[in-house]
Amino acid sequence: MPTLAPPQKRRVFPVLGDRVFGAFGMAAALLSFGLFAWIVWDLARLGFPQLSWGYFTGEVEDSGRAGGIGPLLVSSLLILVCCLGLVIPLGVGCALWLSEFVKRRSVAARLVTGGVDLLASVPSIVFGLFGMVFFGQVLGMGFSILAGGLTLACMILPILVRTTLSALESLPADLRPAAAALGLTNTTAIAKILLPAALPGIVIGITLGIGRALSETAALIFTSGYSIRWPETLGDSGRSLSVHIYDLALNVAGGNTMAASSALVLLALILLVNSVAVALSEHWLRRRHQTP
Amino acid sequence: MNPSALSRQNELNCSTSGSGCIVDCGTSNLCVSELSVFYRDHSAVRDVSLNIPTNEITAIVGPSGCGKSSFLHSLNRLTDLIPGCRVTGSIRLCDGTEITHPQADILSLRRRVGIVFQRPNPFPQSIRRNFEIPLKEHGWHNRDIPDRMEAVLRDVGLWDEVSDRLHKSAIALSGGQQQRLCIARALALDPEVILFDEPCSALDPIASGVVEDLIHSLKGKVTVAIVTHNLAQARRIADHAAVFWVRDNAGALVESGPAARVFSDPLDPDAALYLSGARG
Repeated sequence: MPTLAPPQKRRVFPVLGDRVFGAFGMAAALLSFGLFAWIVWDLARLGFPQLSWGYFTGEVEDSGRAGGIGPLLVSSLLILVCCLGLVIPLGVGCALWLSEFVKRRSVAARLVTGGVDLLASVPSIVFGLFGMVFFGQVLGMGFSILAGGLTLACMILPILVRTTLSALESLPADLRPAAAALGLTNTTAIAKILLPAALPGIVIGITLGIGRALSETAALIFTSGYSIRWPETLGDSGRSLSVHIYDLALNVAGGNTMAASSALVLLALILLVNSVAVALSEHWLRRRHQTP
Repeated sequence: MNPSALSRQNELNCSTSGSGCIVDCGTSNLCVSELSVFYRDHSAVRDVSLNIPTNEITAIVGPSGCGKSSFLHSLNRLTDLIPGCRVTGSIRLCDGTEITHPQADILSLRRRVGIVFQRPNPFPQSIRRNFEIPLKEHGWHNRDIPDRMEAVLRDVGLWDEVSDRLHKSAIALSGGQQQRLCIARALALDPEVILFDEPCSALDPIASGVVEDLIHSLKGKVTVAIVTHNLAQARRIADHAAVFWVRDNAGALVESGPAARVFSDPLDPDAALYLSGARG
């Protein structure tokens, strides 16, 4: 009986395909990094010479052509605080409800997840207009840091809900029966076991949200406004760093170099927040898995 | 209720529960009668009546899919967590508490009837927190918790291995250590009954042996019901045995009694083939 030889596929250039594919991947990777490097280089070249201690603490002068960004840093920070103050309880609460209190396939759960996902695709300018009408006019906050922060909270809510939800869903399935078997209430199980276990994921969600919030312009122009004074209360209008960059680049002749300086600061801030969050998450994960 | 009245009541329960009694109900901690477990329309366990004697070890054996785990999980109402799961029949603790009662205090019930699962499931926190969370929940004072923790960790032979690393993560322990931690955590709540759901099947042979010895050592201190696929293990540690089998598409109890008798001289033909290793 003749043995059956396996069919032989003729390969003309057996290695060439792999090489082309690898080269294409490398080119794509280099291009992606090159884009980032180019932006940073350009910002640094234009913006770095203006950076000094006075730049971080000084007031905006001559529409931003001179002086610093002190009040804007404070405004940006306050907007962020308002934003996180609303979005953390709202986003984590919503994700908890979806993952622990309703059935995934129920109408209510599908409506909420669908709504949240739609929210993620709404353009930020729409959030800005909504915030201006709802927070600014209906709730009477006017142009204020509070109105801006709350508008941003609506905008980054979907990010936090999604990341928290996936963090909760990726927890080991046997944590819940383990808690129930010890006679723990749902509240204890959630507050003392599930949330701490999901914390690294939640922090990553908050970080992504902060990055989005710090760089947002359109949602803030109509809500927290343009004021460059030192903010005294959350009811004051205050210009965020991103709005300042937009204004310098678009409305102020000769503002380009100062716009680059502000952009450099913003970039550094976002990088800082990201690295702190990543370091924290890794620290928690390491502590959880460290060999005793 | 005085002991003799309790005993009489248990005898009454037993007489209504048909022929499922292993021993006199007066010495039983859990009296199960006519228990059925349904997943939606499918019945996983049908009409099981079984008494689980106080402070002794009852092994529940049988092939996969015969409803052993469903039965075990219904004993402390973990079946409540499964959507569409329904339990009928009666499960009574020795003081007359009806476990299946809709208004039963599930939280205190689960303190009294603990369970250890197949896969060790410590909380991903420090060893100490694994005890603090449940003990605080059940009203222990902070000052009493360290002593309690040390006592149960000594009971499971883990104290010397972990006493200097109580602040370290519990999930960094080895599988066998984690399972002993889970047993200690269940013991810490001072339960009357501990249910074991194949506690050794996810462990290597050496860790499995350590856990088996530990379960054996609980005899005389706490009532144990253990589901196991390991017949040799059941022979080694059980005082009583119950064999489950699939009858008419549902799990049923086909044989129960003192372990020595059940293993050496089973009455049911399926049980006999299974226990002799010829089937299952």
